[in-house]
This record gives sequence, C-alpha cells and structure tokens, in this order.
Amino acid sequence: MIMERFDFLVRSCKLADTLIDVQKLTPSIGAEIFGVDLGAEISARQFQAIHQALLDHQVIFFRDQKMSVDQQKAFVRQFGELHIHPGPRFPIDGHPEILGIWADENSKRVSGEEWHSDVSCEPKPAMASMLYIHEVPKNNGGDTLFASMYAAFEALSDPFKRFLSGLTALHTGAAAYGGGRSPIAATNIPSAEHPVIRTHPETGRQALYVNRYFTSHIAQLSRSESNAVLEYLYGHAEKVEFQCRFKWRANSVAFWDNRCVQHKVIWDYFPYRRNGHRITVSGDRPFHQI
Amino acid sequence: MSIPSIDVRKLTPTIGAEIFGVDIGHGVSKGQYDEIRQALLDNLVIFFRDQDMTLDQHKAFGRLFGKLHIHPEPAFPVAGHPEVITIKADENSMRVAGEVWHSDVSCDAEPPMGSILHIHNVPENGGGDTLFANMYAAYEGLSETMQSFVGGLSAMHDGNAAYRDKPAVPDPDKVYPRAEHPIVRTHPETGRKALFVNRYFTEGIVGLSVEESNALLEILYRHIEKPEWQCRFKWQPNSVAFWDNRCAQHNAIWDYFPQRRFGYRVALCGEKPV
Repeated sequence: MIMERFDFLVRSCKLADTLIDVQKLTPSIGAEIFGVDLGAEISARQFQAIHQALLDHQVIFFRDQKMSVDQQKAFVRQFGELHIHPGPRFPIDGHPEILGIWADENSKRVSGEEWHSDVSCEPKPAMASMLYIHEVPKNNGGDTLFASMYAAFEALSDPFKRFLSGLTALHTGAAAYGGGRSPIAATNIPSAEHPVIRTHPETGRQALYVNRYFTSHIAQLSRSESNAVLEYLYGHAEKVEFQCRFKWRANSVAFWDNRCVQHKVIWDYFPYRRNGHRITVSGDRPFHQI
Repeated sequence: MSIPSIDVRKLTPTIGAEIFGVDIGHGVSKGQYDEIRQALLDNLVIFFRDQDMTLDQHKAFGRLFGKLHIHPEPAFPVAGHPEVITIKADENSMRVAGEVWHSDVSCDAEPPMGSILHIHNVPENGGGDTLFANMYAAYEGLSETMQSFVGGLSAMHDGNAAYRDKPAVPDPDKVYPRAEHPIVRTHPETGRKALFVNRYFTEGIVGLSVEESNALLEILYRHIEKPEWQCRFKWQPNSVAFWDNRCAQHNAIWDYFPQRRFGYRVALCGEKPV
C-alpha cells in the first residue's frame, strides 16, 4: 500500500515536471509555478499537475496572470464548488463568490493580520483559497506569510502528538466577525468544533489545526490548561522554519490549501493601497484518522 | 546632488534592500562607498548578488567600514585569516550557529557593529534563508509606558550559554565574554533608539528578580520576533549580506540537513553600546 502510494507520488511528480515548471520556495512550504496562463483553458493533465503541486507544496504562486472575474471563477471551480463568505466586507456586485480584498488610506484595520486558516469557524471550512492581487502598495509592503501545519505537527514529540490526537477545539468567528467587524449579525456568527489534529483527506498527512484568529479553547481541557496548551501550539506553529514569505507584484496569484496551511497578512503599508479578489473553494468537515 | 552610482531596491518598508551595480570585491569608489554606507544606515541590512571575491577582497571591503573584529570563539577558524569565520553546515553538523534570534557577539563589551557574510554554496533543497529584524521598529512598536520602563534598564549578556560545549573538545576553564548593556541602545550614527536584548546572549535584566526578568524578556523577544519588522533573504551562490548589529537582529534557518551550506563572514569592530 505504501509502495503503491509512493509510486503514485513519483509518477505524479514526473507528470508535473513536464507540464508546468515548479520552483520550490523553501523546503517546507511554497512553490512558484511557471508556464501556465490561468485565464486560458488548461488541459486535464495540466490541471492535474497544478492540483498535485498544491498538494505537494501547500501553497502555490503564479506571476503575471491576466484573468477576468469569470476566468478566475472558472479556474477555481475545477477544484470544487465555490464557497460564499459568511460576511464579506467588500462584496463585489453580481459575484457573491468573490471576496474583495481592499486596504487604503481610509482603512482602520485589514483582515487576516493574525495567523489563521480561512473561516475555520465554519462546520465545513473552506478547502482552498485563491487570491489574485491587482494592485500592490507603493512602499514594497504587504507581503503574506504562509506556514505548513504538516511541518508544525511533524516537529512535535511523539508523546505530544498522541496527547493532541484525541482532542477537539472550539472555533468561533466572534473575534473576527463580531462587534461590528463584519455585516454578520451577532446571532449568525459561525462556530464549530474541530479536531486539533486534522487528517488531510487527499494526502492522508496529519496537520495541526488550531489558530489564533478563530480557535477559542480545547474542549477536553480546563480553561487555564487550554490557554497554556494553545499558546504553546501557536508559538510553535509560528516558527520560521515552517514558513515562506511571499512578495506580491501586480497580477500575482496565490492558491493555498486551508486544510494544512495557515497564513498571515502584513499591514505595513498604510496609507498605501492594496487590492485584489479572493475566491474560495468549499471544503469538507475536518476529521482525524490515525 | 550627484547621480547615484548604485541601485538600491527596498525589500520591505521596514528593513532590507538589495544593492545592484557594484562589484564590492574589486574596488569601490568613494561615491559608491558613501552610498553603500548610507544604504546600510537606511535599510539596516543590505544585500549584493553575484559577488565573486577572495578572502583578501572580502576583508578589504570590510576594512573600508572599520577595523575587523576577531571572533572570541570561531567554530571553524580559517588558517591565516583570524578575522574570517567560516559558516558551514553539512551532513555531519549537530547544530548550526545563529539558529536563534540574535545580534552578533552581543556578549562582548564592544560588540561588532556590522557583519558581512559571503555565501559560496547554498543547500540544494532551497533551504537556508536568513531572517533579519529591525530593532528600531521593535522599539517604536512598544507603548510609551513600556518604552520608558525598559529605557531605564540594562541587561547582562553572556557568551557562556552560546559557546560552552560547542567546540568539539569543550574547555571547562575557558572564560567567555560577558557584558552589561542598556536594553534600549542609541545608534551612534543615526541617533535612533533600538531594542538590544536577544535570546542567544541576554542572560537577565539587572535589578529585576529572575521571574520578573524572564517574563519581561519573553515579552520583548516575542515582540521583537513579529514578522512586521522582518525581511527574509533567500541566498544564491555569491550572495553577500551586510548587516548593522547595532539595530538589527538575525536568525539563520537550518532547514536543509543533511545538505551543505558554506560561506565566510567578517565582522567590523564596534563601540560600547550607550
């Protein structure tokens, strides 16, 4: 079984090599993909190669892409049904699947400045997100950090992995979306309970699945134990060894797998403007399987 | 104003710039020297690509900026070049130097003001990036109350933890450098204030209890390590980084075992922090 899986991986890597050009950014996470026009129709084999690159590298980047809103949606739809965000701050007329990303001289805050996995407060959080940046700030700011939650899990000791493997955590959108931070009514703010260690449904690998933005506490622990364990895990998940840092240019695209990646945006460019469109693929219910 | 002779491209708004249009091993004009020095003061760390230079050329470039520093405990000394330390990691490495956020040799009474690292070989797996962090920005990011509290304190820095047991044959009688420095350091050239404590060398804050000191240092370290004041540099063969230890900390990522990374570093003597 393991050998079959290995053969499959080897074959898919070879396939990917010939159809797209994949250049890793770090050993743990991230790759830039060259030789693809996301706005054009891509072949089934090229799609498969991109899909495999996403599974292998967890976040993939494309440069100099020209896509209309419809072309961006068409590309992302190949990965699954499009997710509708529960409370977009910048809705785009006629395109409920698009989340406008916008910051400028009037911004009081930006979304995603804390490490997070997108909408992990939902019972079925978004599987993957694609962000297409149209305009980058003039001061060279606005990088995004991505962190591999496979690498974070794998770096834990065996006893600690076993300890976490039986636990679940509560995730809530209250801090992200409550208190007038989004148009969502207080009674509609999503919340969900998820395993602390999540098994990736496609790769079978285990990933750490708690984050500062949405996770409130671990269900099986006292509040003080939960706070201490979560703080430890957040500090661990934020180690630079598990990260890559992406510098955007106009028309860069990032496509990340929320099931095994956390990210954090850096707002170091006020009062400059940054904007783009995000589209998100619907996901399944997180589970843990040994 | 004269026409700039070098091309400075910022990496982030807070720290780091790549410098193009200069071959640092083969003679730098007075105009270029002035611009490089200004770029270092403005950006805290500057990077050069595709620099082919010998150890003598590396040292000569360093000497333009000051006297070369002799490292108290080089892991890999270079015969005939006491001012040069080897930076290397391979399949036999049990550890690498600088995997923790630090300012170089801050345990010295007069820590080096700057360091110039020339990397010859990069690991094949795409690893081995280095992170740099802006300690002016970290200081400025503290509340005024915290700024005035830490502004009145000093901390002990000790080479013992960093260097003892690191040589192949540890010498129990060896005395490592130890020094007391202000937590907030004023940069002698820019006049700006910078945080000057780090996980690698700082032992404790003078006048506080151990518990208070540990708690306050942890707050400062976590604050210092925020990505908002960092840049991340990906090396290529013959890349050079030149950083200002008075206002920058750095952290070398060892994510490439068992692969090999190799280069040489020289450091410039500095003055007593004030």
